[in-house]
Amino acid sequence: MALGSLLARMTRTDRWLVLLLMLAAFASLWFVLGRSVGRSLLVYAGDTLAFTAPLDQDRQIELHGPLGDTLIEVVAGKVRVISSPCSRKICIGMGAIQRSGDLLACVPNRVVIRIEGEGGEYDLLSR
Amino acid sequence: MLKRPLALIAALLLILLLSWSLRPRAASDVSRTALIMGTLVEIKGVGLDDKDMEGAISDAFDAMRREEARFSTRIETSQISAINRAITAIEVDPEVLAVLQLGQRISRQSEGAFHPGLGRLLKLWNFEAVSPRVPALSEVNALLPALIGEPVAISGSAVKRLNPDLQLDLGGIAKGYAVDRALAVLRAAGIESASVNAGGDIGLLGGHAERPWKIGIQHPRKTGQLLATLELRDRAVVTSGDYERFFLQDGMRYHHVFDPRTGFPARACQSVSVVTATVAEADALATAAFVLGPIKGLALLERLPDVEGLIVSATGEVEVTSGLKDQIRWR
Repeated sequence: MALGSLLARMTRTDRWLVLLLMLAAFASLWFVLGRSVGRSLLVYAGDTLAFTAPLDQDRQIELHGPLGDTLIEVVAGKVRVISSPCSRKICIGMGAIQRSGDLLACVPNRVVIRIEGEGGEYDLLSR
Repeated sequence: MLKRPLALIAALLLILLLSWSLRPRAASDVSRTALIMGTLVEIKGVGLDDKDMEGAISDAFDAMRREEARFSTRIETSQISAINRAITAIEVDPEVLAVLQLGQRISRQSEGAFHPGLGRLLKLWNFEAVSPRVPALSEVNALLPALIGEPVAISGSAVKRLNPDLQLDLGGIAKGYAVDRALAVLRAAGIESASVNAGGDIGLLGGHAERPWKIGIQHPRKTGQLLATLELRDRAVVTSGDYERFFLQDGMRYHHVFDPRTGFPARACQSVSVVTATVAEADALATAAFVLGPIKGLALLERLPDVEGLIVSATGEVEVTSGLKDQIRWR
C-alpha cells in the first residue's frame, strides 16, 4: 500500500534518481563494511625507505646492505628473511612476520622490514 | 505531506555521506625506524601534521644517539668506557649519574639480582660471536668476587669503580634511559600521543589518540604468538626473556640474562614483563625479577610503588602482580 502510494507519486526522473542513489549507497556500504585496508610491507635500508609493496602479492626482494645482499621472501602474507650475509643469522632465525606493526631486522646489514596497516591485534610487541 | 519521496532521497544521501566519512583510511601514525644502540628503534607519533612529527622524531632519534655516545661500552670515547679505564674518580654527565644511581638502587632492592657491572662476564660469554660457547667454570668463577658489593662510589658528579676487576655495562638499562629521553623530546615538541620501541623496550606517551595503546606480550615458548595484551597510556613496558638471544649446547639453552651470583644464565623464568613509569626502571626490574625467579621476583614487583608485572616461570606457570590482574587480556 505505502510502497504503491509512494511509487504513484514518483515521476520517471524520481525513480531514476532513487535507483541511482540506491546503487551508490549499496556500493558505499560495501566499500566501508566489506573491505579492510590492505597491509603493506615496508623495507628500509638503514634509515631510508627502500621498498614498499602490498602484502597480498608473493615476491622476493633482494636488498643490498653494507655486508652484502639480504634476500626477503613474501609468501601468503608472511614475510621472512631467507638469506643474509650477517654472521649469526638472527634475522633468519626470527622467522616470519605477518601482523600489522610487526618488525623484522638484520641489524648488522642495516635492513629493517615492517608491516603496516590496520586491523592488528596490537600496536606494539614487547618481547 | 511531501508530494515527492524527498525523505527517501535524503536518507540515501545520508548513507552516502556516512559511508564517505567512515571510508577506510590508512593509519595516521607517522612511523620511523633507526638502528641505534645495536638495536632497531621505532618511533610512532600520532596527532601533529606529518612535517612537525617528522622533525620531532628526528630530534628524538638524535637524543637517543647522544645517550649511545655516553653509555656504549663499544664506543671508546663514551663515559662508561672512560670509567672502565680510569683508576681514579672521573667527572661524568648528570645523565650518567642518574642511570648509575638507578642501577645501584635496583641492585640494592633486588639484593644483587640486577648488577650494572657485568662487563667482563658478558665479554667472557660473548653472545656476539658466530658460535658462542659455554666458558670454563673456573673462568666464570674468577669473575664473581668483583661482583660482590657496590660497583661504584659516587661523590657529587665524580664516579669511581670500587674494584679494578669490575667493568660497567649498563646495556639494557641505558637503552631504556635513551627511550625515556626520546619520549621527553617528543613531549617537549608538543606531541601527546607517541611510542618509542627499542627492540621491545617500549615507552608510551599518552594513548594512541583517543584510545589506549594495545601492547602485545610475546609468548616465551610459542614463536609468533601472544601470551597476553595490555591496554596502557603513559607507561613503560619491558620484557626480559630467555628466547631472544640464546644458544644451545649439549641440549641446554644458554641465554643472555645472567645471574650475577653464579655467572651463569638465570634458570627460574622463561620471561618477565614489567610495567612502570620509566623504561630504564622497567628494564632493570625485568632483569632483576627474571634472576630472582617467580616467587622472589613477584614479591619485589609487588613491594615497589607504581610497578606491575607478569612472570612466566621456568615450568610455564604465570604469576601476575595484583594491580595488573584486572588489566590483562590473556590470549
